Amino acid sequence: MAVREHKLINNPENLIDEMLEGFCAAYADILLCGDNRLVMRAEPKVAGKVGLLMGSGSGHEPAMLGWVGEGLFDVVVAGEVFAAPGPENMLAGVRAADRGGGVLICVSHHAGDLLNAELTLEFCEIEGIDDVDMVLLYDDISSAPKGREAERRGTAGLFSVWKMLGAFCEGDADLAAAKALAEKVRDNTRSLAVSLSSCASPMTGEAMFEMGADEMEIGMGLHGELGMGRQKALGADATIDLLLPPLLEDLPYRAGDEVIVLLNSSGSLTLMELFILYRRAAARLSEAGVSVYRSWIGQYATTLETAGFALALCRVDEQLKALWDAPANGAYMKQL
Amino acid sequence: MNSIGEAELRELIVALSGRVAAARDLLNRLDAALGDGDHGTSVSVAFAVAVEDIRTLDEPSLSAIWLTTAKALMNRMGGASGAIFGTFFLRGVTLLHDRDRLGKAEMQALLQAGLDGVKARGKAKLGDKTMVDALEPAVVAFAEADDYDSAWRSAAAAARAGTEATKGLVARQGRARFLGQRAVGHIDPGAMTAALMFEAIDDYWRANCR
Repeated sequence: MAVREHKLINNPENLIDEMLEGFCAAYADILLCGDNRLVMRAEPKVAGKVGLLMGSGSGHEPAMLGWVGEGLFDVVVAGEVFAAPGPENMLAGVRAADRGGGVLICVSHHAGDLLNAELTLEFCEIEGIDDVDMVLLYDDISSAPKGREAERRGTAGLFSVWKMLGAFCEGDADLAAAKALAEKVRDNTRSLAVSLSSCASPMTGEAMFEMGADEMEIGMGLHGELGMGRQKALGADATIDLLLPPLLEDLPYRAGDEVIVLLNSSGSLTLMELFILYRRAAARLSEAGVSVYRSWIGQYATTLETAGFALALCRVDEQLKALWDAPANGAYMKQL
Repeated sequence: MNSIGEAELRELIVALSGRVAAARDLLNRLDAALGDGDHGTSVSVAFAVAVEDIRTLDEPSLSAIWLTTAKALMNRMGGASGAIFGTFFLRGVTLLHDRDRLGKAEMQALLQAGLDGVKARGKAKLGDKTMVDALEPAVVAFAEADDYDSAWRSAAAAARAGTEATKGLVARQGRARFLGQRAVGHIDPGAMTAALMFEAIDDYWRANCR
């Protein structure tokens, strides 16, 4: 299938800086953009609390820029397209996120994100910044088998972690408690994605990978890497019927569990399609005795203009429900 | 010539940068088959920044040249490849402190430290279809040679052979590991970049230092 190669951009070399300039101009009421490609809260959180930092390759908007703000991240550092930012910008991010209660670097598990977080911690040590830690997060069940969860990739389902951890760090938690909470949400979250098209790199104008018009791929991560299963494209109900059973079995989610459902468009799927997909997912969850506490449908983490979606479940208890419902004020996540 | 000083080390980085820039489209194409298709662009931009930053160093010592290169790669490439290529240079910096010239033995230690750093950072071994498949044979060949002339020569040849051999491999590290068998038939772009680096040094050496 052909990809749209013409992008409405200017010089590709200025892509990230021009995106940040526009984004920060649009949300100047709540956000501030700094040097080193930092996006920060216009008003920092109260001193003494744990600062939340994330470095993220670009091309996934509104992730992660849209999740900076009250009840969410303190600082997000933007990288090049699909490439995590290097340690210099991350170190600037650590300094900006430090409110005196330590800084937690959230890592969505991809090699570049993890290696740069490790490098950042090494540079923190050299600079004498010791109250900083990282937490490794993952959710994509297609990227490694059950029992080897720590090898899995981080994808759209981690939105549950960002939301709940952000709310948690508005409270009096210390760094260790914040890390433990992030791991708790992670360990209750699973996702699986499907893609129907490729996307074109804004740097080179070339398709990231080739995909037939009648094909779909199960298990694509956030970066458009080819996953493990390519097959003939199915209808909405049949696609959900393929995704949901392995997701339910993996945790496993059992009858009586309550979950938050996230149905994430990876770029160019229509809301109409997402609602039709959700219809089936809700019915199948109900059959399985799993009740839906909240559902979120839309664009959370994209892969440029890829057509596809991720279905993610997060099992919640009373603590996580309260954190999910807590206020948030980011550019793309507003909750009273 | 049997030792390398600041002027030569700086020229080596210029030579690397030129070679990688000339191969930008080739590297992008290799990366498109296994990754996101911009490796050539990102590595050539980063080396160009390294050359410029080295040119404007106040005190261009051997260690400053190596550290500046490390930082440009880590911070301008970003991603896994920036971290790994940057680590290759970063790990050698302390070996260069207070040194004015590098004999073959010192260069060997520098390359070995870089290789060890890359393997530790990326957790890759020989045969995983990564830059280690070019780098490790090159460092071994360098160590086995008697002098600089033959060392650069055989390191470049070993890096190239290791790179060509990645074509037949399934990836066990990096994004390409999610491709499974579909990675077979494609050369690893990181290995190719490492081979180009050694070839650029060998060409520079034969033209200027023999």
